[in-house]
Amino acid sequence: MSIEILDPTTPAAPRPIEYSPRPGSLAGKRVALIENTKFNSDKLLQRIGEILKAEHGVAECTMYRKHNASVPAHEEIIAAIKTSADVMVAGIGD
Amino acid sequence: MPGTLTSKRFKVEDLAAAVDFCYTRGWSDGLPVVPPTESAVRAMLEAARLAPDAKLAYIRDRFVTVTAEKVAINAVMAGCKPEYMPVVAAAVEGIGDERWGYHGPGTSTGGAAVLMIVNGPIARELDINAGDNLFGPGWRANLTIGRAVRLVMRNVCGSMPGLLDRGTVGHPGKLSYVIAEKEAESPWAPLHVERGFRSEQSTVTVMAAEGPHQFYNQLSSTAEGILTTLADNMRISGNVMGQPHYCLVLAGEHMKTIAADGWDKKRIRQFVWEKTQNSHAHLKRTNRMSGALEPGDEDKMRPLVASPDDILVVAAGGRAGAFSCFIPGWSSAKSSAAITKEIKR
Repeated sequence: MSIEILDPTTPAAPRPIEYSPRPGSLAGKRVALIENTKFNSDKLLQRIGEILKAEHGVAECTMYRKHNASVPAHEEIIAAIKTSADVMVAGIGD
Repeated sequence: MPGTLTSKRFKVEDLAAAVDFCYTRGWSDGLPVVPPTESAVRAMLEAARLAPDAKLAYIRDRFVTVTAEKVAINAVMAGCKPEYMPVVAAAVEGIGDERWGYHGPGTSTGGAAVLMIVNGPIARELDINAGDNLFGPGWRANLTIGRAVRLVMRNVCGSMPGLLDRGTVGHPGKLSYVIAEKEAESPWAPLHVERGFRSEQSTVTVMAAEGPHQFYNQLSSTAEGILTTLADNMRISGNVMGQPHYCLVLAGEHMKTIAADGWDKKRIRQFVWEKTQNSHAHLKRTNRMSGALEPGDEDKMRPLVASPDDILVVAAGGRAGAFSCFIPGWSSAKSSAAITKEIKR
C-alpha cells in the first residue's frame, strides 16, 4: 500500500539582488575596506588599499571593522559607506 | 491541534521506498529516517499543542521562518516520540534567538554542534539520560531530540554539510548532542535555576559547542585536586583566544568528592576560571596569539572566557569512574551566547 509523506524542507526565500554600476576607473575614488576581525585580515586589506592607491589612483581608503566574523556588516557600517565611499572591498578570510 | 498542513506531499510505494526517497531528496543526515506521514506529524504537533503555522524561529541571515509544521516533520524523521516535541520546539527557539547567532554556529568551519542540556521534571519524564554513557549511545530521547534539531538546521535553515555548513572536521555531536542534568543526585543548584528559572520549570539550554574532552583523576580526594587536573587539561583547549563559554560536566565520583569539600558551582567556576588562564608569552610562543614577545608578557594573563559566569557547570554522567569532561564553546566571545528556553507544555 502506498504511503504519503510530507516535505521537511523550506526553500530559501528568493531575494532580488541588484549590483551597483561599476565605475570605469578607480582614479579619485573613495574605497571602504571591510575587516572581518579574523587574524591578519586588517593587514591584508591595508595592503590591498596601498596597491589600489599606488596602482589605480584611489584617493582614500577607510577601514571598517565588523562586530565579528560570523555576522554581516552592521547597519552603521553600511550607512557610513553609502555616504562616504564609492567602492568597497569585502570578503571572507579564513 | 487543527490547522492545515501546507507542506508538499509525495506518494511512495511502501516504507522502504519512503526511506530511500528521503535519502535521494537529500533530507537525511546519513542515517535512515522515519517517513513523515500526516498522522505522525499531527501527533507531534498535538503533543506540543502547536498550530502548524506557529513560528518557532526566524533565521535572520537566511530570511527563513521556522514553522512548527516543519519542525514536527523533521522530528518524526529523526525518530522522536510525540512527547519529545516540546523539547525540540524549545531548542529550535533557542538556536533562533538573536544572541545565539545562528549564522555562525550553523555554518562555521569551526564545526560547532548544538549542545542541549535539559533540566527540570521533563528530563525524568522523557527518560533523557543523565547518567552512564551520557553522550550515548543507548537512549532514544537523547539521540532523536538532537537529531531532530540538526535535521531542522539542514532541511529548513539551509545548514547543508559541504555547502552552507562548512565545518572543517566537525564532530559526532553534530548528529545529536543532548544530555540532562542529574538533578536527583546533584548536590548543587541545577543549571536552569542558576539561569533564572524555577526548579519545577523544564528548560533546554543550547550552547554552540565543540566535542566533549574527558579528563581523569583517580588520585585526589579533594575538590581542589580534581579541579586542578581539570584546569590543567582545559587550559589549552578550544579556541584558547576567547570563546564565549565552557561547559563542565562533573560525573558521580568527582561530583561527590567536590561537594564533600563544600564547594558549590560558583566556587568551582571561580577556581577553574582562575586556573585556566594562559600567559600572553605562552600564547605567543605557541603561535596562538599574534605579535612578538614583549616585556611583561610572562605575567600578563588571558582567561579562557571573559567571566567565571561564562562557565556552565552541570552534574551528569555515570556514578562509577573517576572521569568527567569539559566542553569548549564555539568561536569567540562575541559570536554566540548559550540560551536557555522554557519547554512549554
